[in-house]
Amino acid sequence: MASKNGIDRRDEDEVCPVCKSSRYLNPNMRFLINPECYHKMCESCVDRIFSSGPASCPVAGCRKTLRKNRFRQQTFEDIGVEREVDIRRRVMHILNRREEEFDSKRAYDDFLEQREEIIANLVCRIDVAKTEAQLQAYAQENMQSIKANQALEEQEATSFQKKILLEQEETRMRQQIAREEYESERREQQATREDFLTRLASGSAADAAAIAREGHKVHLKKSSARRSEEDRIRQKQAALRGTEVKRTGTPLTTADTAGSTPGAGFIKGLRKIKTPEPEKPYDPFMGLVPGKRDYYTQLESYPYAFLDKLRSDLTVQAGGYDLQEYYSRTLLEAFAGLGCFVQEEVAKRDAISALGISKPASTEGAAMAAVGKNAA
Amino acid sequence: MALSPFASRSPSVTVASPSSALRLKAAATHHAPGQAVTAKSDPNPERELTEQLNDDVRRKYVKGKKLGEGTYAIVYLGHFRDDPSSCVAIKKIKVNAEYKDGLTMDAIREVKYLQELSHRNVIALHDVFSSKDQNLNLVLEFLPGGDLEMLIKDGDIHYGVGDVKAWMGMLARGVWFCHENFVLHRDIKPNNLLIAADGEVKLADFGLARSFADPYLNMTHQVITRWYRPPELLFGAKQYSGAVDVWSMGMVFAELLLRVPLLAGMSDLDQISKICEAFGTPTEENWPGVTQLANYVTDKAVPLRGREFFLQQFPTAGPVGADLLMSMCVLDPRKRATALQVLQHKWWATEPRPTKNEDLPRKSGTKKMGDDLARRGGETDDGPFKNAARQLDFGGMK
Repeated sequence: MASKNGIDRRDEDEVCPVCKSSRYLNPNMRFLINPECYHKMCESCVDRIFSSGPASCPVAGCRKTLRKNRFRQQTFEDIGVEREVDIRRRVMHILNRREEEFDSKRAYDDFLEQREEIIANLVCRIDVAKTEAQLQAYAQENMQSIKANQALEEQEATSFQKKILLEQEETRMRQQIAREEYESERREQQATREDFLTRLASGSAADAAAIAREGHKVHLKKSSARRSEEDRIRQKQAALRGTEVKRTGTPLTTADTAGSTPGAGFIKGLRKIKTPEPEKPYDPFMGLVPGKRDYYTQLESYPYAFLDKLRSDLTVQAGGYDLQEYYSRTLLEAFAGLGCFVQEEVAKRDAISALGISKPASTEGAAMAAVGKNAA
Repeated sequence: MALSPFASRSPSVTVASPSSALRLKAAATHHAPGQAVTAKSDPNPERELTEQLNDDVRRKYVKGKKLGEGTYAIVYLGHFRDDPSSCVAIKKIKVNAEYKDGLTMDAIREVKYLQELSHRNVIALHDVFSSKDQNLNLVLEFLPGGDLEMLIKDGDIHYGVGDVKAWMGMLARGVWFCHENFVLHRDIKPNNLLIAADGEVKLADFGLARSFADPYLNMTHQVITRWYRPPELLFGAKQYSGAVDVWSMGMVFAELLLRVPLLAGMSDLDQISKICEAFGTPTEENWPGVTQLANYVTDKAVPLRGREFFLQQFPTAGPVGADLLMSMCVLDPRKRATALQVLQHKWWATEPRPTKNEDLPRKSGTKKMGDDLARRGGETDDGPFKNAARQLDFGGMK
């Protein structure tokens, strides 16, 4: 760090390159820069030139258009460092992939190298136009994941801050408890000692040994109680810390479409993002189709004298006897053979046996039953 | 899986695979003429063949430890002989003194209907074989997840509308599939709804099932556990339809929402009055012909409940869910929704989405499956000595 003296001396004869006024004449002078071209000028010049809107840089030879709102104070003494830091911040903001988004450590390292290269290119003005174009294209394609990662970073920063605060608070509490404990113990010790002395003074010589032993025992009990109390507190804190860690565990990033977009071409080795299959609507029938028996149609009612009495029988009707059920069963029994396609079953069987798989007995049995039915 | 009229699976006892039958026959003829010694002990080669087939099936499975026992059957855990990691439940039907000349109706019904139904939400029957002393053994899918009744009664388990929707969806699919194949289950209740390892609910205990009756054919009305029995059966209707199962489904739905049985009648008459109180008294206006039913009784006239009642009683289901429940609890079986209409209801499409099977609340415990299967259909164990038989283990005495 430069000595305060040095800065002061340098500042004293600093001259604004635009209006040539020096700090010597104007001690409150502040210098501002614009990240567009990093030319330094004093605050009054900025006000004077850029208050009425964007204008070109007044420094000779620089024709960059500057806006007032971008002017700021410089952080680093060296303008080159200032510029590099700005570029770095901007690039990191865009290329903010995280390690867990990559297939392997190697891929992540490659990404880091690539990012450094881009930064170096921009800093050293190599292939600026091309690099910038790449960066812009990437930013556009991966808007969502960039935002998600930014949010994640912010969240991490705040949780980190919170954790530090919590830890400080904990330490403070611990210290306070320890102090209080020490105080109370000291007070108690003093009290027992006084009590001890008075008893010794008032008691006979024969009691002295017994009193001394008793006092010793009390002291031991206290210290062991304190130790167990300490253990309990420690365990509690450990448990607390455990839950804290669990809670702050980084949620796995579900980044956006980058996996398949051209952005993936720019950064290699990104983990393939599995978009969860959209859940199919619940099928109450689970694949079975009601009313599949389409080789015949069932009518509402069939004229059949045998059933007339049944239709008019109130007891049967009230019991809920359903002629439709009877119709459908009878029809199925009559036409069921039409639902069997022996040719298809034989073809299927041959295909299976051609594959060398022993066919289950049931298929054969069903096929034979079908043959029997058809023949009949 | 199309709705094929034929059994898509053929348990080996009914349709033996033709290839193995031929092989056995060939073996039998090969041996018979060669040695006169074997021929004399084989007076009926056809019977011998079926016994061989039966042995083939029996040897496919290894019977393991006992899971539970009831008056009607003993359930063992088993596995395929060549795959010890597979699990099956082997239900051994006890020889019943009442049916000296054959099998109990329950066993026949169970085999008859289960072998025809192959669906995700219906318990699968892998095989049937007879063991020594002509005992019938049903090899069933092993469902270790307990049943819905356990989940409803377990206060430590919390579930939401999404879970209820998932369970009801599976139940409705199972019932719809049965009806589509002309089978009435006739004993739907939470403890007959077993849960597979993957959370899938499966309709079990087909001991009371039957196919749709032909016209003029009487069916018994003494079916379905009382709390889940529809009013037409309580009134003694002898001709009824799939609507009886839909009523039971409605009762299960309500029980899932309330976590207590909605209508827990002490007797059949009490059940009728509970139904009247809850949904209204059946009259000629709201149920034409009801007074003609054999056991029709009424005590007091309660007006039919409207939509508001269901909305108020079952707020968790939401308005659409309450509508569905209401359509399942219509007194008149002709106006009650069918299983198909239940599945076509818009409740399934409303939020929340049914929970995925893997996220459904569950309970472990293998004992329950045995208990459940061993219970006689249509019977609840709320007698004074409930669980007594199960606490005594007679397995070690022989």
